[in-house]
Amino acid sequence: MREALATRLGMIAPAQALIAAVIAGPALYLVWLSFHTSSYGAAAVFVGLENYARVLGDAYFWRALANTAVIVLVVVHLELLLGLAMALLFASGVPLRRVMLAVVIAPYAVSEVAAVVMWRFMTDPDVGHVSALLRAVGLPMLEWSVVPAHGMVLVALLSVWLHLPFTFLILYAARLALPTELYEAARIDGATGWQAFRRITLPLLIPALLVAALFRLIFAFRLFSEVWLLTQGGPARSTEVVAVYLYLEAFRYNAFGAAAATGWLMVVGSLVLAAPYLWRLKRAARDAA
Amino acid sequence: MRRRQFATVGKLAACALIALWSLAPIVLIVTSSLKPENEIFAVPPTLGFSPTLKHYAALWERWPDFFAALGNSLIVTVGATLIALAASIPAGYAYSRFQQRWVQASAFWLIVVRLIPPIVVTLPLFPLVNALGLADTHLLLAVLYATFFVSLGAVVMRSFFDQVPRELDEAAAVDGAGRWMTLIRIIAPLGAQGALAVAVFVIVFAWNDFLFAFIFSATRAKTAPLVLSEMVGNFDGVDWGVLFAAATVQLAPILVFVLAAQKHLVAGLSAGATKG
Repeated sequence: MREALATRLGMIAPAQALIAAVIAGPALYLVWLSFHTSSYGAAAVFVGLENYARVLGDAYFWRALANTAVIVLVVVHLELLLGLAMALLFASGVPLRRVMLAVVIAPYAVSEVAAVVMWRFMTDPDVGHVSALLRAVGLPMLEWSVVPAHGMVLVALLSVWLHLPFTFLILYAARLALPTELYEAARIDGATGWQAFRRITLPLLIPALLVAALFRLIFAFRLFSEVWLLTQGGPARSTEVVAVYLYLEAFRYNAFGAAAATGWLMVVGSLVLAAPYLWRLKRAARDAA
Repeated sequence: MRRRQFATVGKLAACALIALWSLAPIVLIVTSSLKPENEIFAVPPTLGFSPTLKHYAALWERWPDFFAALGNSLIVTVGATLIALAASIPAGYAYSRFQQRWVQASAFWLIVVRLIPPIVVTLPLFPLVNALGLADTHLLLAVLYATFFVSLGAVVMRSFFDQVPRELDEAAAVDGAGRWMTLIRIIAPLGAQGALAVAVFVIVFAWNDFLFAFIFSATRAKTAPLVLSEMVGNFDGVDWGVLFAAATVQLAPILVFVLAAQKHLVAGLSAGATKG
Protein backbone atom coordinates (compact mmCIF):
# COMPACT_ATOMS: atom_id res chain seq x y z
CA MET A 1 0.00 0.00 0.00
CA ARG A 2 2.85 2.35 0.79
CA GLU A 3 4.31 1.71 -2.65
CA ALA A 4 0.96 2.60 -4.21
CA LEU A 5 0.84 5.92 -2.36
CA ALA A 6 4.35 6.78 -3.54
CA THR A 7 3.33 5.97 -7.11
CA ARG A 8 0.23 8.16 -6.93
CA LEU A 9 2.17 11.05 -5.49
CA GLY A 10 4.94 10.59 -8.01
CA MET A 11 2.56 10.63 -10.93
CA ILE A 12 0.79 13.84 -10.05
CA ALA A 13 3.89 15.52 -8.59
CA PRO A 14 5.39 16.99 -11.79
CA ALA A 15 2.15 18.69 -12.84
CA GLN A 16 1.41 19.91 -9.32
CA ALA A 17 4.98 21.13 -8.84
CA LEU A 18 4.84 23.22 -12.02
CA ILE A 19 1.49 24.71 -11.05
CA ALA A 20 2.67 25.40 -7.50
CA ALA A 21 5.95 27.00 -8.53
CA VAL A 22 4.69 29.07 -11.44
CA ILE A 23 1.08 29.92 -10.60
CA ALA A 24 -0.15 29.07 -7.09
CA GLY A 25 2.96 30.08 -5.14
CA PRO A 26 3.44 33.39 -6.95
CA ALA A 27 -0.31 34.07 -6.55
CA LEU A 28 0.08 33.75 -2.78
CA TYR A 29 3.06 36.08 -2.86
CA LEU A 30 0.83 38.42 -4.85
CA VAL A 31 -1.64 38.56 -1.94
CA TRP A 32 1.22 39.65 0.30
CA LEU A 33 2.40 42.18 -2.28
CA SER A 34 -1.05 43.69 -2.58
CA PHE A 35 -1.04 44.59 1.12
CA HIS A 36 2.35 46.22 0.95
CA THR A 37 3.80 49.19 -0.78
CA SER A 38 6.94 48.32 -2.61
CA SER A 39 8.64 49.45 -5.71
CA TYR A 40 11.04 47.10 -7.31
CA GLY A 41 14.18 46.80 -5.18
CA ALA A 42 12.91 48.81 -2.19
CA ALA A 43 11.90 47.42 1.21
CA ALA A 44 8.18 46.71 1.56
CA VAL A 45 5.95 48.47 4.07
CA PHE A 46 2.60 47.05 5.19
CA VAL A 47 -0.21 49.37 4.14
CA GLY A 48 -3.34 47.25 4.60
CA LEU A 49 -5.98 47.92 1.98
CA GLU A 50 -4.41 51.15 0.76
CA ASN A 51 -3.39 49.66 -2.61
CA TYR A 52 -6.93 48.47 -3.24
CA ALA A 53 -8.30 51.86 -2.23
CA ARG A 54 -5.87 53.58 -4.54
CA VAL A 55 -6.76 51.41 -7.52
CA LEU A 56 -10.49 51.65 -6.85
CA GLY A 57 -10.17 55.43 -6.56
CA ASP A 58 -8.34 55.72 -9.87
CA ALA A 59 -10.53 56.91 -12.75
CA TYR A 60 -8.17 55.21 -15.23
CA PHE A 61 -8.82 51.85 -13.57
CA TRP A 62 -12.57 52.26 -13.97
CA ARG A 63 -12.22 53.28 -17.57
CA ALA A 64 -10.00 50.24 -18.20
CA LEU A 65 -12.53 48.01 -16.45
CA ALA A 66 -15.43 49.46 -18.46
CA ASN A 67 -13.48 49.05 -21.72
CA THR A 68 -12.66 45.45 -20.83
CA ALA A 69 -16.25 44.60 -19.90
CA VAL A 70 -17.64 46.11 -23.12
CA ILE A 71 -15.07 44.45 -25.37
CA VAL A 72 -15.37 41.08 -23.63
CA LEU A 73 -19.16 41.00 -23.68
CA VAL A 74 -19.36 42.11 -27.32
CA VAL A 75 -16.60 39.78 -28.48
CA VAL A 76 -17.80 36.68 -26.65
CA HIS A 77 -21.45 37.02 -27.65
CA LEU A 78 -20.56 37.80 -31.23
CA GLU A 79 -18.38 34.69 -31.26
CA LEU A 80 -21.14 32.54 -29.79
CA LEU A 81 -23.64 33.80 -32.35
CA LEU A 82 -21.34 33.39 -35.33
CA GLY A 83 -19.92 30.12 -34.03
CA LEU A 84 -23.39 28.67 -33.53
CA ALA A 85 -24.56 29.77 -36.98
CA MET A 86 -21.47 28.26 -38.56
CA ALA A 87 -21.77 25.03 -36.58
CA LEU A 88 -25.36 24.61 -37.78
CA LEU A 89 -24.37 25.44 -41.35
CA PHE A 90 -21.59 22.83 -41.25
CA ALA A 91 -23.87 20.25 -39.63
CA SER A 92 -26.42 20.71 -42.41
CA GLY A 93 -23.72 19.82 -44.93
CA VAL A 94 -21.40 22.16 -46.81
CA PRO A 95 -19.49 21.54 -50.04
CA LEU A 96 -15.85 20.44 -49.53
CA ARG A 97 -16.41 20.00 -45.81
CA ARG A 98 -12.80 19.13 -44.95
CA VAL A 99 -11.42 22.09 -46.87
CA MET A 100 -13.98 24.43 -45.32
CA LEU A 101 -13.06 23.16 -41.84
CA ALA A 102 -9.40 23.93 -42.53
CA VAL A 103 -10.41 27.39 -43.76
CA VAL A 104 -12.33 28.14 -40.58
CA ILE A 105 -9.57 26.82 -38.31
CA ALA A 106 -6.74 28.73 -40.02
CA PRO A 107 -6.85 31.88 -37.82
CA TYR A 108 -6.26 29.67 -34.77
CA ALA A 109 -2.65 29.28 -35.98
CA VAL A 110 -2.05 33.02 -36.31
CA SER A 111 -0.14 34.78 -33.53
CA GLU A 112 -1.54 37.94 -32.00
CA VAL A 113 1.38 39.88 -33.43
CA ALA A 114 0.90 38.58 -36.99
CA ALA A 115 -2.83 39.24 -36.69
CA VAL A 116 -2.10 42.81 -35.65
CA VAL A 117 0.17 43.20 -38.70
CA MET A 118 -2.65 41.98 -40.94
CA TRP A 119 -5.44 44.10 -39.48
CA ARG A 120 -3.29 47.16 -39.06
CA PHE A 121 -2.38 47.03 -42.70
CA MET A 122 -5.93 46.38 -43.89
CA THR A 123 -7.32 49.27 -41.86
CA ASP A 124 -4.44 51.68 -42.42
CA PRO A 125 -6.17 54.99 -43.29
CA ASP A 126 -3.80 55.68 -46.20
CA VAL A 127 -3.01 52.34 -47.79
CA GLY A 128 -5.38 49.77 -46.24
CA HIS A 129 -7.73 47.75 -48.40
CA VAL A 130 -10.56 47.77 -45.87
CA SER A 131 -10.18 51.54 -45.59
CA ALA A 132 -10.38 51.82 -49.38
CA LEU A 133 -13.50 49.65 -49.36
CA LEU A 134 -15.13 51.71 -46.62
CA ARG A 135 -14.30 54.89 -48.51
CA ALA A 136 -15.70 53.45 -51.74
CA VAL A 137 -19.08 52.68 -50.17
CA GLY A 138 -19.12 56.02 -48.36
CA LEU A 139 -18.69 54.72 -44.81
CA PRO A 140 -16.50 56.45 -42.24
CA MET A 141 -13.00 55.05 -41.89
CA LEU A 142 -11.64 53.25 -38.86
CA GLU A 143 -9.30 55.88 -37.46
CA TRP A 144 -8.15 53.56 -34.73
CA SER A 145 -5.06 55.50 -33.75
CA VAL A 146 -7.02 58.74 -33.22
CA VAL A 147 -10.59 57.86 -32.23
CA PRO A 148 -10.76 55.66 -29.10
CA ALA A 149 -14.07 54.01 -30.08
CA HIS A 150 -12.57 52.99 -33.42
CA GLY A 151 -9.56 51.53 -31.68
CA MET A 152 -11.88 49.39 -29.57
CA VAL A 153 -13.84 48.29 -32.62
CA LEU A 154 -10.61 47.14 -34.25
CA VAL A 155 -9.50 45.30 -31.10
CA ALA A 156 -12.89 43.57 -30.94
CA LEU A 157 -12.78 42.58 -34.63
CA LEU A 158 -9.29 41.21 -34.21
CA SER A 159 -10.26 39.21 -31.12
CA VAL A 160 -13.28 37.70 -32.81
CA TRP A 161 -11.16 36.81 -35.82
CA LEU A 162 -8.51 35.10 -33.69
CA HIS A 163 -10.83 33.18 -31.38
CA LEU A 164 -13.83 32.27 -33.53
CA PRO A 165 -12.19 28.92 -34.52
CA PHE A 166 -12.10 27.85 -30.86
CA THR A 167 -15.73 28.77 -30.18
CA PHE A 168 -16.86 27.24 -33.45
CA LEU A 169 -15.06 23.94 -32.82
CA ILE A 170 -16.62 23.48 -29.38
CA LEU A 171 -20.11 24.17 -30.72
CA TYR A 172 -19.59 22.10 -33.86
CA ALA A 173 -18.38 19.07 -31.87
CA ALA A 174 -21.39 19.40 -29.58
CA ARG A 175 -23.79 19.68 -32.52
CA LEU A 176 -22.33 16.56 -34.16
CA ALA A 177 -22.83 14.65 -30.91
CA LEU A 178 -26.62 15.21 -31.00
CA PRO A 179 -28.48 12.02 -31.98
CA THR A 180 -29.88 12.13 -35.53
CA GLU A 181 -32.96 10.11 -34.50
CA LEU A 182 -34.33 13.20 -32.78
CA TYR A 183 -34.32 15.09 -36.05
CA GLU A 184 -35.89 12.19 -37.94
CA ALA A 185 -38.65 11.98 -35.34
CA ALA A 186 -39.17 15.71 -35.58
CA ARG A 187 -39.41 15.54 -39.36
CA ILE A 188 -41.93 12.72 -39.22
CA ASP A 189 -43.98 14.80 -36.82
CA GLY A 190 -43.92 17.57 -39.42
CA ALA A 191 -41.68 20.02 -37.59
CA THR A 192 -40.28 22.91 -39.62
CA GLY A 193 -36.57 23.66 -39.63
CA TRP A 194 -37.11 26.54 -37.24
CA GLN A 195 -39.15 24.41 -34.85
CA ALA A 196 -36.46 21.71 -34.86
CA PHE A 197 -33.87 24.36 -34.04
CA ARG A 198 -35.97 25.99 -31.34
CA ARG A 199 -37.17 22.77 -29.68
CA ILE A 200 -34.28 20.34 -30.21
CA THR A 201 -30.98 21.91 -31.26
CA LEU A 202 -30.92 24.97 -29.03
CA PRO A 203 -31.97 23.31 -25.74
CA LEU A 204 -29.54 20.44 -26.27
CA LEU A 205 -26.70 22.79 -27.14
CA ILE A 206 -27.16 24.96 -24.05
CA PRO A 207 -24.47 23.15 -22.02
CA ALA A 208 -21.93 23.49 -24.86
CA LEU A 209 -22.87 27.16 -25.32
CA LEU A 210 -22.36 27.74 -21.60
CA VAL A 211 -18.99 25.98 -21.59
CA ALA A 212 -17.82 27.96 -24.62
CA ALA A 213 -19.08 31.20 -23.07
CA LEU A 214 -17.31 30.48 -19.77
CA PHE A 215 -14.00 29.61 -21.39
CA ARG A 216 -14.08 32.66 -23.60
CA LEU A 217 -15.31 35.12 -20.94
CA ILE A 218 -12.52 34.12 -18.58
CA PHE A 219 -9.86 34.14 -21.29
CA ALA A 220 -11.06 37.26 -23.08
CA PHE A 221 -10.87 39.18 -19.80
CA ARG A 222 -7.07 38.76 -20.01
CA LEU A 223 -6.95 40.69 -23.26
CA PHE A 224 -3.53 42.35 -23.45
CA SER A 225 -1.45 41.76 -26.56
CA GLU A 226 -3.96 42.99 -29.14
CA VAL A 227 -4.51 46.26 -27.29
CA TRP A 228 -0.85 46.73 -26.43
CA LEU A 229 0.29 46.14 -30.00
CA LEU A 230 -2.40 48.31 -31.58
CA THR A 231 -2.86 51.35 -29.34
CA GLN A 232 -0.77 50.76 -26.19
CA GLY A 233 -3.93 51.95 -24.43
CA GLY A 234 -3.76 55.35 -26.10
CA PRO A 235 -4.59 57.97 -27.10
CA ALA A 236 -4.41 59.45 -23.59
CA ARG A 237 -5.08 56.11 -21.85
CA SER A 238 -8.56 55.98 -23.40
CA THR A 239 -8.41 52.43 -24.82
CA GLU A 240 -6.71 50.78 -21.86
CA VAL A 241 -8.00 47.42 -20.67
CA VAL A 242 -7.41 46.02 -17.18
CA ALA A 243 -4.39 43.92 -18.19
CA VAL A 244 -2.74 46.95 -19.82
CA TYR A 245 -3.51 49.05 -16.73
CA LEU A 246 -1.86 46.39 -14.59
CA TYR A 247 1.19 46.22 -16.83
CA LEU A 248 1.64 50.01 -16.79
CA GLU A 249 1.24 50.23 -13.00
CA ALA A 250 3.86 47.54 -12.47
CA PHE A 251 6.42 48.08 -15.16
CA ARG A 252 6.08 51.74 -16.06
CA TYR A 253 4.95 53.44 -12.84
CA ASN A 254 6.80 50.94 -10.68
CA ALA A 255 3.83 50.50 -8.33
CA PHE A 256 3.95 46.77 -7.66
CA GLY A 257 1.51 46.96 -4.74
CA ALA A 258 -1.17 48.68 -6.81
CA ALA A 259 -0.51 46.32 -9.69
CA ALA A 260 -0.88 43.33 -7.36
CA ALA A 261 -4.20 44.68 -6.10
CA THR A 262 -5.26 45.15 -9.74
CA GLY A 263 -4.34 41.53 -10.36
CA TRP A 264 -6.75 40.30 -7.72
CA LEU A 265 -9.44 42.69 -8.88
CA MET A 266 -8.92 41.23 -12.34
CA VAL A 267 -9.51 37.69 -11.11
CA VAL A 268 -12.64 38.84 -9.26
CA GLY A 269 -13.82 40.81 -12.28
CA SER A 270 -13.58 37.86 -14.65
CA LEU A 271 -15.43 35.64 -12.15
CA VAL A 272 -18.20 38.21 -11.70
CA LEU A 273 -18.63 38.46 -15.46
CA ALA A 274 -18.69 34.66 -15.75
CA ALA A 275 -20.89 34.06 -12.68
CA PRO A 276 -24.30 34.05 -14.44
CA TYR A 277 -23.02 31.47 -16.90
CA LEU A 278 -21.40 29.38 -14.18
CA TRP A 279 -24.66 29.41 -12.25
CA ARG A 280 -26.66 28.38 -15.34
CA LEU A 281 -24.16 25.61 -16.09
CA LYS A 282 -24.46 24.26 -12.57
CA ARG A 283 -28.23 24.23 -12.91
CA ALA A 284 -28.01 22.52 -16.31
CA ALA A 285 -25.69 19.86 -14.85
CA ARG A 286 -28.11 19.30 -11.97
CA ASP A 287 -31.07 19.00 -14.33
CA ALA A 288 -29.20 16.46 -16.41
CA ALA A 289 -28.25 14.35 -13.38
CA MET B 1 -37.63 22.81 -56.22
CA ARG B 2 -36.93 26.51 -56.46
CA ARG B 3 -36.75 26.66 -52.71
CA ARG B 4 -34.04 24.02 -52.61
CA GLN B 5 -31.98 25.87 -55.23
CA PHE B 6 -32.41 29.01 -53.21
CA ALA B 7 -31.07 27.20 -50.12
CA THR B 8 -28.06 25.86 -52.03
CA VAL B 9 -27.18 29.29 -53.34
CA GLY B 10 -27.55 30.70 -49.84
CA LYS B 11 -25.27 28.03 -48.46
CA LEU B 12 -22.61 28.66 -51.09
CA ALA B 13 -22.79 32.39 -50.41
CA ALA B 14 -22.38 31.76 -46.67
CA CYS B 15 -19.35 29.54 -47.32
CA ALA B 16 -17.81 32.19 -49.56
CA LEU B 17 -18.33 34.83 -46.86
CA ILE B 18 -16.78 32.58 -44.20
CA ALA B 19 -13.78 31.87 -46.42
CA LEU B 20 -13.34 35.58 -47.15
CA TRP B 21 -13.48 36.50 -43.45
CA SER B 22 -11.18 33.71 -42.39
CA LEU B 23 -8.59 33.74 -45.16
CA ALA B 24 -8.46 37.25 -46.61
CA PRO B 25 -6.11 38.64 -43.92
CA ILE B 26 -3.77 35.66 -44.21
CA VAL B 27 -3.75 35.54 -48.00
CA LEU B 28 -3.23 39.29 -48.20
CA ILE B 29 -0.11 39.13 -46.01
CA VAL B 30 1.41 36.10 -47.70
CA THR B 31 0.84 37.32 -51.25
CA SER B 32 1.90 40.87 -50.42
CA SER B 33 5.20 39.58 -49.05
CA LEU B 34 5.94 38.38 -52.59
CA LYS B 35 4.87 41.55 -54.39
CA PRO B 36 6.99 44.46 -55.53
CA GLU B 37 6.27 47.62 -53.48
CA ASN B 38 4.06 49.39 -55.96
CA GLU B 39 1.72 46.40 -56.14
CA ILE B 40 1.37 45.95 -52.37
CA PHE B 41 -0.81 49.02 -52.20
CA ALA B 42 -2.84 48.40 -55.35
CA VAL B 43 -6.61 48.67 -54.85
CA PRO B 44 -8.16 46.19 -55.40
CA PRO B 45 -5.32 43.78 -54.52
CA THR B 46 -3.65 42.32 -57.60
CA LEU B 47 -3.53 38.59 -58.05
CA GLY B 48 -1.52 38.22 -61.26
CA PHE B 49 1.72 39.72 -59.99
CA SER B 50 5.23 38.62 -60.75
CA PRO B 51 6.53 37.25 -57.45
CA THR B 52 9.75 38.61 -56.00
CA LEU B 53 11.82 37.49 -53.02
CA LYS B 54 13.38 40.90 -52.46
CA HIS B 55 11.51 41.51 -49.19
CA TYR B 56 12.83 38.23 -47.84
CA ALA B 57 16.33 39.21 -48.89
CA ALA B 58 15.90 42.57 -47.17
CA LEU B 59 14.61 40.84 -44.06
CA TRP B 60 17.69 38.60 -44.02
CA GLU B 61 20.00 41.58 -44.41
CA ARG B 62 18.38 44.08 -42.06
CA TRP B 63 16.93 41.89 -39.32
CA PRO B 64 19.45 39.12 -38.52
CA ASP B 65 17.82 39.27 -35.07
CA PHE B 66 14.67 37.83 -36.50
CA PHE B 67 16.27 34.58 -37.64
CA ALA B 68 18.05 34.11 -34.32
CA ALA B 69 14.65 34.65 -32.70
CA LEU B 70 13.10 31.97 -34.89
CA GLY B 71 15.71 29.59 -33.52
CA ASN B 72 14.84 30.65 -29.98
CA SER B 73 11.14 30.10 -30.70
CA LEU B 74 11.91 26.61 -31.91
CA ILE B 75 13.98 25.72 -28.83
CA VAL B 76 11.38 27.13 -26.45
CA THR B 77 8.51 25.42 -28.27
CA VAL B 78 10.17 22.00 -28.27
CA GLY B 79 11.18 22.40 -24.61
CA ALA B 80 7.70 23.48 -23.55
CA THR B 81 6.10 20.57 -25.39
CA LEU B 82 8.39 18.00 -23.77
CA ILE B 83 7.88 19.43 -20.28
CA ALA B 84 4.11 19.67 -20.71
CA LEU B 85 3.86 16.08 -21.93
CA ALA B 86 6.18 14.72 -19.24
CA ALA B 87 3.98 16.33 -16.59
CA SER B 88 0.50 15.78 -18.02
CA ILE B 89 0.80 12.14 -19.16
CA PRO B 90 1.44 10.66 -15.69
CA ALA B 91 -1.03 13.12 -14.12
CA GLY B 92 -3.72 12.20 -16.66
CA TYR B 93 -3.09 8.52 -15.97
CA ALA B 94 -3.33 9.01 -12.20
CA TYR B 95 -6.57 11.00 -12.57
CA SER B 96 -8.02 8.31 -14.80
CA ARG B 97 -7.08 5.33 -12.60
CA PHE B 98 -6.90 6.44 -8.97
CA GLN B 99 -10.25 7.43 -7.50
CA GLN B 100 -9.07 8.50 -4.04
CA ARG B 101 -10.65 11.76 -3.01
CA TRP B 102 -7.35 13.61 -2.55
CA VAL B 103 -6.17 12.57 -6.01
CA GLN B 104 -9.36 13.85 -7.63
CA ALA B 105 -9.27 17.01 -5.52
CA SER B 106 -5.80 17.75 -6.85
CA ALA B 107 -7.20 17.44 -10.40
CA PHE B 108 -9.84 20.03 -9.55
CA TRP B 109 -7.15 22.25 -8.05
CA LEU B 110 -5.25 22.22 -11.36
CA ILE B 111 -8.32 23.66 -13.08
CA VAL B 112 -9.15 26.22 -10.39
CA VAL B 113 -5.64 27.65 -10.41
CA ARG B 114 -5.92 28.32 -14.12
CA LEU B 115 -8.49 31.04 -13.37
CA ILE B 116 -5.53 33.26 -12.49
CA PRO B 117 -4.56 35.24 -15.61
CA PRO B 118 -0.96 34.85 -16.87
CA ILE B 119 -0.27 38.58 -16.66
CA VAL B 120 -1.16 38.54 -12.96
CA VAL B 121 1.45 35.84 -12.37
CA THR B 122 4.14 37.83 -14.16
CA LEU B 123 4.17 40.38 -11.31
CA PRO B 124 5.38 38.14 -8.47
CA LEU B 125 7.48 36.06 -10.87
CA PHE B 126 9.42 39.02 -12.17
CA PRO B 127 11.59 39.72 -9.07
CA LEU B 128 11.84 36.00 -8.35
CA VAL B 129 13.08 35.19 -11.83
CA ASN B 130 15.66 37.94 -11.66
CA ALA B 131 16.90 36.72 -8.29
CA LEU B 132 17.29 33.20 -9.64
CA GLY B 133 19.11 34.42 -12.73
CA LEU B 134 16.46 32.87 -14.95
CA ALA B 135 15.46 36.06 -16.71
CA ASP B 136 15.90 35.96 -20.46
CA THR B 137 16.53 32.21 -20.64
CA HIS B 138 14.99 29.57 -22.90
CA LEU B 139 14.34 27.36 -19.88
CA LEU B 140 12.15 29.96 -18.17
CA LEU B 141 9.96 30.51 -21.22
CA ALA B 142 9.64 26.77 -21.84
CA VAL B 143 8.57 26.17 -18.23
CA LEU B 144 6.06 29.05 -18.33
CA TYR B 145 4.44 27.85 -21.55
CA ALA B 146 4.35 24.25 -20.35
CA THR B 147 2.79 25.16 -17.00
CA PHE B 148 -0.07 27.08 -18.53
CA PHE B 149 -1.09 23.98 -20.48
CA VAL B 150 -0.48 21.32 -17.84
CA SER B 151 -4.03 21.65 -16.49
CA LEU B 152 -5.68 21.22 -19.86
CA GLY B 153 -3.08 18.56 -20.72
CA ALA B 154 -3.93 16.48 -17.65
CA VAL B 155 -7.66 16.76 -18.34
CA VAL B 156 -7.27 15.78 -22.00
CA MET B 157 -4.96 12.87 -21.15
CA ARG B 158 -7.39 11.66 -18.49
CA SER B 159 -10.26 11.54 -20.94
CA PHE B 160 -8.13 9.66 -23.47
CA PHE B 161 -6.86 7.19 -20.83
CA ASP B 162 -10.47 6.67 -19.70
CA GLN B 163 -11.04 5.02 -23.10
CA VAL B 164 -8.24 2.50 -22.51
CA PRO B 165 -9.70 -0.61 -20.83
CA ARG B 166 -8.54 -1.19 -17.26
CA GLU B 167 -8.15 -4.89 -18.00
CA LEU B 168 -4.87 -3.98 -19.68
CA ASP B 169 -3.57 -2.49 -16.41
CA GLU B 170 -4.67 -5.55 -14.51
CA ALA B 171 -3.07 -7.93 -17.00
CA ALA B 172 0.20 -5.99 -16.74
CA ALA B 173 0.00 -6.12 -12.94
CA VAL B 174 -0.50 -9.89 -13.06
CA ASP B 175 2.63 -10.07 -15.22
CA GLY B 176 4.46 -8.23 -12.46
CA ALA B 177 4.81 -4.81 -14.08
CA GLY B 178 4.67 -1.83 -11.72
CA ARG B 179 2.38 1.13 -12.35
CA TRP B 180 5.07 3.25 -13.99
CA MET B 181 6.13 0.40 -16.24
CA THR B 182 2.49 -0.25 -17.15
CA LEU B 183 2.00 3.40 -18.01
CA ILE B 184 5.16 3.76 -20.06
CA ARG B 185 5.06 0.47 -21.92
CA ILE B 186 1.35 -0.20 -22.40
CA ILE B 187 -1.03 2.62 -21.59
CA ALA B 188 0.85 5.71 -22.77
CA PRO B 189 1.32 4.41 -26.35
CA LEU B 190 -2.46 3.78 -26.50
CA GLY B 191 -3.07 7.38 -25.44
CA ALA B 192 -0.77 8.75 -28.13
CA GLN B 193 -3.73 10.50 -29.79
CA GLY B 194 -4.30 12.47 -26.61
CA ALA B 195 -0.61 13.33 -26.31
CA LEU B 196 -0.71 14.65 -29.88
CA ALA B 197 -3.71 16.82 -29.04
CA VAL B 198 -1.94 18.25 -25.98
CA ALA B 199 1.18 18.83 -28.06
CA VAL B 200 -0.81 20.83 -30.63
CA PHE B 201 -2.12 23.19 -27.94
CA VAL B 202 1.28 23.75 -26.36
CA ILE B 203 3.10 24.17 -29.66
CA VAL B 204 0.67 26.79 -30.95
CA PHE B 205 0.79 28.68 -27.65
CA ALA B 206 4.57 28.59 -27.24
CA TRP B 207 5.29 29.48 -30.86
CA ASN B 208 2.84 32.39 -30.96
CA ASP B 209 2.85 33.89 -27.46
CA PHE B 210 3.69 37.54 -27.08
CA LEU B 211 3.03 38.32 -23.40
CA PHE B 212 5.59 36.14 -21.61
CA ALA B 213 8.27 36.78 -24.24
CA PHE B 214 7.61 40.51 -23.92
CA ILE B 215 8.01 40.54 -20.15
CA PHE B 216 10.65 37.86 -19.58
CA SER B 217 12.98 37.96 -22.56
CA ALA B 218 15.32 40.72 -23.65
CA THR B 219 18.08 39.51 -25.94
CA ARG B 220 19.25 35.92 -25.51
CA ALA B 221 15.87 34.19 -25.47
CA LYS B 222 13.93 36.68 -27.60
CA THR B 223 11.28 34.84 -29.63
CA ALA B 224 10.05 35.54 -33.15
CA PRO B 225 6.73 37.23 -32.18
CA LEU B 226 8.69 39.67 -30.04
CA VAL B 227 11.01 40.72 -32.88
CA LEU B 228 7.97 40.94 -35.15
CA SER B 229 6.36 43.31 -32.65
CA GLU B 230 9.49 45.48 -32.69
CA MET B 231 9.19 45.72 -36.44
CA VAL B 232 5.55 46.82 -36.11
CA GLY B 233 6.55 49.31 -33.46
CA ASN B 234 8.83 51.08 -35.93
CA PHE B 235 6.02 53.57 -36.31
CA ASP B 236 7.15 56.11 -38.88
CA GLY B 237 9.02 53.95 -41.26
CA VAL B 238 6.98 50.75 -41.39
CA ASP B 239 8.52 48.82 -44.25
CA TRP B 240 5.40 46.85 -45.10
CA GLY B 241 7.12 44.48 -47.54
CA VAL B 242 9.73 43.34 -44.98
CA LEU B 243 7.11 43.20 -42.25
CA PHE B 244 4.92 40.93 -44.40
CA ALA B 245 7.87 38.68 -45.16
CA ALA B 246 8.65 38.32 -41.44
CA ALA B 247 4.99 37.71 -40.56
CA THR B 248 4.81 35.07 -43.28
CA VAL B 249 7.93 33.29 -42.02
CA GLN B 250 6.60 33.32 -38.45
CA LEU B 251 3.15 32.14 -39.55
CA ALA B 252 3.82 29.57 -42.29
CA PRO B 253 5.25 26.65 -40.27
CA ILE B 254 2.63 26.82 -37.53
CA LEU B 255 -0.21 27.21 -40.02
CA VAL B 256 0.92 24.14 -41.94
CA PHE B 257 1.29 22.27 -38.66
CA VAL B 258 -2.17 23.21 -37.37
CA LEU B 259 -3.86 22.24 -40.62
CA ALA B 260 -1.98 18.92 -40.68
CA ALA B 261 -2.90 18.23 -37.05
CA GLN B 262 -6.47 19.50 -37.41
CA LYS B 263 -7.98 16.16 -36.43
CA HIS B 264 -6.08 16.08 -33.12
CA LEU B 265 -6.95 19.67 -32.36
CA VAL B 266 -10.66 18.90 -32.70
CA ALA B 267 -10.37 15.70 -30.64
CA GLY B 268 -8.41 17.49 -27.91
CA LEU B 269 -10.81 20.41 -27.77
CA SER B 270 -13.86 18.23 -27.37
CA ALA B 271 -12.12 16.11 -24.73
CA GLY B 272 -10.97 19.22 -22.85
CA ALA B 273 -14.23 21.13 -23.10
CA THR B 274 -16.66 18.37 -22.19
CA LYS B 275 -14.67 16.80 -19.39
CA GLY B 276 -13.03 19.94 -18.06
